[in-house]
Amino acid sequence: MAAVYRTHMSIIGDILSTTRDEAPDEAGASVTYLIRKANVSYGRLAKILETLVQQGLLEQTTSERACKYRISSRGREFLQAYRGFREFADSFGLRI
Amino acid sequence: MAIVSDTVLEIALNLLGFVVGIALGIFSYIGFKNTGSPTLFRLNISFFSIGIGFGVVGFGYMIELFVLGYGQIDGWIQTLGIGIQTVGYFFIAFSHGIKSFFPKSRYFKSIVFPLFIIPGNALEHIIRSISFILLVYGTIETIMSYMESRKRSTIFVAAGLGLLALGEFLGWYSVVFPKSILYLVSLSTKIIGLGALFVPISQVPLRGGMKFGGSV
Repeated sequence: MAAVYRTHMSIIGDILSTTRDEAPDEAGASVTYLIRKANVSYGRLAKILETLVQQGLLEQTTSERACKYRISSRGREFLQAYRGFREFADSFGLRI
Repeated sequence: MAIVSDTVLEIALNLLGFVVGIALGIFSYIGFKNTGSPTLFRLNISFFSIGIGFGVVGFGYMIELFVLGYGQIDGWIQTLGIGIQTVGYFFIAFSHGIKSFFPKSRYFKSIVFPLFIIPGNALEHIIRSISFILLVYGTIETIMSYMESRKRSTIFVAAGLGLLALGEFLGWYSVVFPKSILYLVSLSTKIIGLGALFVPISQVPLRGGMKFGGSV
């Protein structure tokens, strides 16, 4: 099976989906967990997380041992919009 | 009298194309504003161009017929409108080109320009030929995507692009039978094709009001 190319936007979608649907606890998902689930390198993930926190799509929480991230209500809205427009682009055979 | 009624029908069809194109453009623009996606930005330019192209012909004919009172419609209006539509078709084909070529090598490995025959040197026919090729390319790519995803809305988009291509072909072919019904059939086919592109919109829950900027 050929490797599936992911756009920057789809990686963001995967990160937000992970923090919404697969976060291990209420404090959110750790960086290590996100690297594994969203399948993205640490360097790239760190930059994206910084942007998402700045944009208010993710909330950064500090637990005893590590920094964790959980999705904000704004992030949930974004994810819903993203999924809708991804369907639209998919219908054209395109990726957003 | 028959010429006037034909022109009125042409105006109506072109204005319908204008409305459909602009509506699709606005939807894509909302998508771009919400997600900052470059693909949706290209689709936004594409549909606005297609809509404006139809609008130039529709409003141009209307002004010449009803405001300026010309008996004969100027050919350059048609050429200008079709030229603007071609820009729109180019952006649809371009989006497919990026998807197909860039992920594999980050650069276009090759660009093949298909050979085609142009009847005479008329600018309008050259533009129509380019539109036709761009639309056929877009249709083929969309059908290939359908083969992978089996999404029902994708087949509607493929049919829509295919009908737009057929419409351009009939419009180009109408040069053989000028003043025949062929041009109106071409225009109607294009409007139906544009309408088929509406199907994916019905599947998107529009909530509106969300603004996230393009920096995500």
